[in-house]
Amino acid sequence: MGKISLTILKEDCCGCHSCEVACKQEHDLGVGPRLIRVIEKSPLFIPIYCHHCAKPPCKDACPVEAIYRNDQGLVLINEEACIGCRECVTACPFGAMQFDDIKEVAAKCDLCLERLTEGKAPACSLICPTGCMVWGDTTELLNRAASRA
Amino acid sequence: MEEIKKVRTVCRSCHGGCGVIAQVKNGKVVKIEGDPDSPISYGTLCSKGLAITQIAYHPDRILHPMKKGHQGWERITWDEALDTVAYQFKKVIEQHGPESLFIGQGTGRDYESHFSRFGNLLGTPNVLTAGHMCYLSRIGASLITCGRFPVCDYEGEPKCIILWAVNPLWTNPDEYKGAGFWRAYKKGAKLIVIDPRKNFYTQKADLWLQLRPGTDAALAMGFFQVIIEEELYDKEFVTRYIHGWDAFVERVKEYPLYKVEQITRIGEELIREAARMYACTKPAGIHWGVPTEQTINCTDFTRTAIGLMAATGNLDAPGGNVFHVPPKVRKVSEFSRHDALSPTQREKRLGGEQYKLAARMALITPKAAWEAMLTEKPYPLKAGIFVGTNPLITEANAKDIYAALQKLDFLAVADFFLTPTAELADIFLPAGTWLEQNHMAENWKFHGYVLARQKVVEIGECWQDHKIFQELGKRMGQEWWDTVEDALDYLLEPTGLTWEQFKEKGYLKGDMIYYKYRQGGFSTPTRKVELFSTILEDWGRDPLPKYTEIPESPVSRPDLAKEYPFILNAGLRTPTFFHSANRQVPWLREIRPDPIVEIHPDTARKHGIKEMDWVWIESPRGRVKQKVKLNDGIDPVVVVAEHGWWFPEIKDEGHGWDISNINLLTDDSHQSMDPVMGATNLRVLLCNISRCEQG
Repeated sequence: MGKISLTILKEDCCGCHSCEVACKQEHDLGVGPRLIRVIEKSPLFIPIYCHHCAKPPCKDACPVEAIYRNDQGLVLINEEACIGCRECVTACPFGAMQFDDIKEVAAKCDLCLERLTEGKAPACSLICPTGCMVWGDTTELLNRAASRA
Repeated sequence: MEEIKKVRTVCRSCHGGCGVIAQVKNGKVVKIEGDPDSPISYGTLCSKGLAITQIAYHPDRILHPMKKGHQGWERITWDEALDTVAYQFKKVIEQHGPESLFIGQGTGRDYESHFSRFGNLLGTPNVLTAGHMCYLSRIGASLITCGRFPVCDYEGEPKCIILWAVNPLWTNPDEYKGAGFWRAYKKGAKLIVIDPRKNFYTQKADLWLQLRPGTDAALAMGFFQVIIEEELYDKEFVTRYIHGWDAFVERVKEYPLYKVEQITRIGEELIREAARMYACTKPAGIHWGVPTEQTINCTDFTRTAIGLMAATGNLDAPGGNVFHVPPKVRKVSEFSRHDALSPTQREKRLGGEQYKLAARMALITPKAAWEAMLTEKPYPLKAGIFVGTNPLITEANAKDIYAALQKLDFLAVADFFLTPTAELADIFLPAGTWLEQNHMAENWKFHGYVLARQKVVEIGECWQDHKIFQELGKRMGQEWWDTVEDALDYLLEPTGLTWEQFKEKGYLKGDMIYYKYRQGGFSTPTRKVELFSTILEDWGRDPLPKYTEIPESPVSRPDLAKEYPFILNAGLRTPTFFHSANRQVPWLREIRPDPIVEIHPDTARKHGIKEMDWVWIESPRGRVKQKVKLNDGIDPVVVVAEHGWWFPEIKDEGHGWDISNINLLTDDSHQSMDPVMGATNLRVLLCNISRCEQG
């Protein structure tokens, strides 16, 4: 399987926040960590989400190598190894890295890894009313983006 | 460990009928997903629907009936609760007559049929809802104008869409769902957006008309000015199917574009361009929102908008505004037994003589109820039941409502939580959420569908509202069915399906036929679209639509505007809350923790106000505080504030109902209301703002 990405067409984000709640439900999260988040700057909506960077600053910042990138290009956290130092939270340029106060570990988007293995779309993208969250094969997405531009 | 069971059902976290797949494990709902096969939502779902598990299983939710004793709320049985309500209601009937009882609902959990049946069989005409200023008001105006309710036909692929004061991807007024709009827009429809605020849609729009809040009816007249002047109307339709066209044309002459510009503050040329685009792009649909209904122009705006649809040949045309054909189920009106309410009792409807359109829709303007409670005139209202409504927060002039409800001898409330309104009750009945409901959903809507909302779980001792009316009705000696499902069989009978069979099917759709008026005309007295309303004429009202200046505006009250220089545009919607609901839901409150008031940066600077400051918003009727968000996409003279705020986390019995509740500022004087529907003005008034030092 090739690399997988999620990208958000910002201009089509209507600020409904459905993705946030779908994400919380999928990952069984309470108040606190927001693995995807939409900032409202009237009249604009700015989605904040993990870009699963090719050279992830969060991974570089982690002193215990708890963050890794898998075969599909997804940047993931090994919760067992995480020491809760929050270096990654500071390092992320997007503000996408979160902290789970209950588990006392860093928390981040895993692009719904479990769902992906079952061939299902990430929870956030599935309910989006404008379809502004696009996911799939990275190369294909890049090609599509290029043709849009 | 038990397997996960999937149940297909239908959401009701707003008015919506979005399709849901609920996952159940060990008797508990563990996940909510959108149903991709839903003809309403195509798999999408909003934050409110997704968060239903946090309402259903909320620690503050009341799961058993209660009575208010000397020590506060005490748990009781359903038998005791229902016997108490029945005893109190019978006492009022004996001493004062059934008209001294009221039944009240909010936007409803889809129990209108049962609610009205209960009221009609009770013998009271005093049905207190939000319908005077929300949805039923537009239906009332539609019925007298064209006989049915015209809905933007997204399935018919409009080539031009007007979004008129509406945000369909956040909040869904009934028939429409954001998904339908978005599909049509993405197929390339032209978009005209009418809104006082720059927003998501205004940035997508071909044309954005930023009107002064409350002047929609004048703008509609401006559209007509252009359409008539440039002869952009469908002459054959106008000749054959519009009653009173010539008189209406005369009326439109009172609105030359320069005058419409003065009223609406939209440039003449822009109005002209928009009118042309709407009239010349075929087909074109108008999707309009509730702000147009919540002013003195409620009925007149809807009537003029229907006039636009009719005159441009878009009425009941594919991709225009259409009359959907319902499936052949039993109608809400028949189930509701309106025939059982005697003419003598109808005549006693509070405010019925004055607000005849509301009376025709079998409801009252709440103002008339508050007056009867406070003054006992024309007769006292002594007791009643509120189901799923929090009028202390959601109706105009909250201070009066608080005083009025204190005067009642007895109040029962059915709800999920102890809301500020529920705290004023004597009996609390625990209602079921949509996860706990068996119902043939959406029967009262005009989109041509009925949907199977099936019970996913039972929680505590909660009952779905339908069962509450049924069991209370039986105790009042009314005719009901043994079970909720028996009543559903009765509703479904004309289709030949039972509830069990319907549940398997999921939904029914009526067979759509366009241009139905070509056989037999429209269902009005003249069989035509009545731009000149013979019904309003009979009532001694102006038979032609017009624009009336908002009674509290810088134009109508320059004196008051000196002290209150800003136009308060109240009722700003959020994507996470449904009116006064959901403030206790962690996932949603995290997204929207505070009541927000939007202020233009220039205005804020002038008043020493910064983003995230708390500010006082003050009207002649009171002051409340909200938190500032700057928005340079509004007129600096306009201040836009959210509604519906109370604070469930405040544990005293007021739950902070008077801190940020914008309806402490709104007016419900008769002169501010729609003259035939009694719509209260929840939207446009004068205010002042100042920085709140304490925060």
